[in-house]
Amino acid sequence: MTGFLQATVYGLLQGGLLALVAVGFSLVWGVMNVVNLSHGAFVVLGAYVGWQLNTSLGLDPFLGMVIVALVLFCIGYAVQRFLINLVVNGPIFITLLLTFGLELLLVQGMNIVFTANYQSIPTSYAGNAIVLGGIQVPLGRLLAFLLAVGITVLLVKVMANTRIGMSIMATGMDRGAARLMGIRARHVYALTFGIATALAGMAGTMVGTVGTFNPAAAGGFTLLSFVIAVLGGLGNMYGAMVGGLLMGLVQAWGGYYLSGTWVNALAFLVLVIVLMFRPSGLVGKAFYAARVEV
Amino acid sequence: MATVTPALWRRWGPWALGLVGALAALGLQTQLYTGQVRTVATIFMFVALALSWNLIGGYTGYASFGQVVFFGLGGYFAAVTMTHLHWSFWVALPLAGLAAAAYAVVIGIPLLRLRGHYFAIATLGVAEGTREVVINLDGLTGGGGGITVPTVGAAAATKYLGNDGFYLVYLALAVLALLITGLVSRSKFGFAMRAIHQDEDAAAAVGINTTRTKVLTFALSGLLTGLVGATYAFQQVTIYPERLFDVEITVLMVVMVVIGGSGTVLGPIIGAVALQFLSEWLRQNYTTVHTLLLGIIIIIAVILLPQGLVNYLREARRNGDYSLLANVRRYRL
Repeated sequence: MTGFLQATVYGLLQGGLLALVAVGFSLVWGVMNVVNLSHGAFVVLGAYVGWQLNTSLGLDPFLGMVIVALVLFCIGYAVQRFLINLVVNGPIFITLLLTFGLELLLVQGMNIVFTANYQSIPTSYAGNAIVLGGIQVPLGRLLAFLLAVGITVLLVKVMANTRIGMSIMATGMDRGAARLMGIRARHVYALTFGIATALAGMAGTMVGTVGTFNPAAAGGFTLLSFVIAVLGGLGNMYGAMVGGLLMGLVQAWGGYYLSGTWVNALAFLVLVIVLMFRPSGLVGKAFYAARVEV
Repeated sequence: MATVTPALWRRWGPWALGLVGALAALGLQTQLYTGQVRTVATIFMFVALALSWNLIGGYTGYASFGQVVFFGLGGYFAAVTMTHLHWSFWVALPLAGLAAAAYAVVIGIPLLRLRGHYFAIATLGVAEGTREVVINLDGLTGGGGGITVPTVGAAAATKYLGNDGFYLVYLALAVLALLITGLVSRSKFGFAMRAIHQDEDAAAAVGINTTRTKVLTFALSGLLTGLVGATYAFQQVTIYPERLFDVEITVLMVVMVVIGGSGTVLGPIIGAVALQFLSEWLRQNYTTVHTLLLGIIIIIAVILLPQGLVNYLREARRNGDYSLLANVRRYRL
């Protein structure tokens, strides 16, 4: 029983972090109808920026995250504004291929700059654990979970209540109408992508604090983001949260009960089943589903 | 001697060109060094793969991002039957193709109801999930440690074909894929595929059985991919799930088709030859940064030639405008 509870707690903590990994991916997909295959590369890039800040300046990763977010926002803004905006109206292969090319570029670039070795961002406290009734709650993971959930909730508030957030939502719903209202779609798209990469970067730094990473991990993060975004419904940020937690639990329970790597097959089985029966995601109606062909 | 009228040329010209191309490829083999034979064989392999993806992705417009599942399945079918049942490669090869086609029907019936990104991701999920199943059935497939096909001695039902042998097999598969594409693209079936691509609801409204067309196309595409996978498995001797189900193989097929021109007969061939040639050249001359350069080339190609080389040349000739900037303007925000 303790083993099961331990797996559950671990799954929930991991799930919160996975939600933050995926929420930007879901936002970009929902607003721009772009499946960003380079999303995982931005997660890893964030981890490396956090790691570099920690190694050369001794900055605590949870503080360094602010700088990581700023750096990644600027990169993401530029990538969307000067690259992806050039093909954003094309058929789906085009955006998929462009972002795949970007992924190759980023991953290989990181391989050259940071080598393919596994890295992690060390802290003095992340390994310590609170013990509650025989269940270990590692401090670093708890902190990462709380921050991830906090950032996601903040994002929802920003989207619903600020001018920027509302213009992003409006552009996502009907770009033509939004432009007629004086919203600069190019700028809004770039902002959206920048926000997504900033979130990915922060998630990456936290991943680096609680575990290890290397450039080759990028593809795995992209796939996980796919699954979570679809589970939650595109562009639905609370949905990404639910999808992330579900994914964390599936992985943790699967790892506890199943042998070998059957757990990975389970994750994709869940994805295919959800796609077949509820393509708009598990959580209510996807906000942008009206525009996405299903 | 009969004169070649334009109508006659349009009917038989492409076939004649294909025949000349295949014969030239046969002749080329005698002119190559051993190392080059392998490289050119790999190009034929990708020609066959790109043509098979083009059937479902290019003509029918369903972006199968899990196409590698048929490659892996065909490869594992051949490897497992050759290892455990001591089948001859020549028996395992066609049956591997049929197994892949059967799998395409089974997953196609539920998944081909999905459209756009959703289909792409569902197929990706199936591919990743199938890989995990293959890894975990380690009694049969050797799991993550891989499986080795016996190629020498008494256990080998078929002796290893060698570079020259595989050159011929890949060439035959590329020709088969070309033949099927050529036949399909001019048949009523091919028009049904294009109609589904352009507007599926309208296609259904004019009486096309869209489900049957899509599933059949997917099966055909899976069959060809499975045949190539089986050959690849035998060529590699030892195969691993990570390699046989590598997403990168799918992406390469898509890149080749899109760069060459999707929904055309010639486009995937041009794309496969150009990209594989370029990739090999970069690998030899810029070993450390070749993937990086490949990424940059894909980005530039997608921005400048989003409709693919063949379609670009067709449109440019029709409009008398060869400016690449018009291409950039087309999909720009």
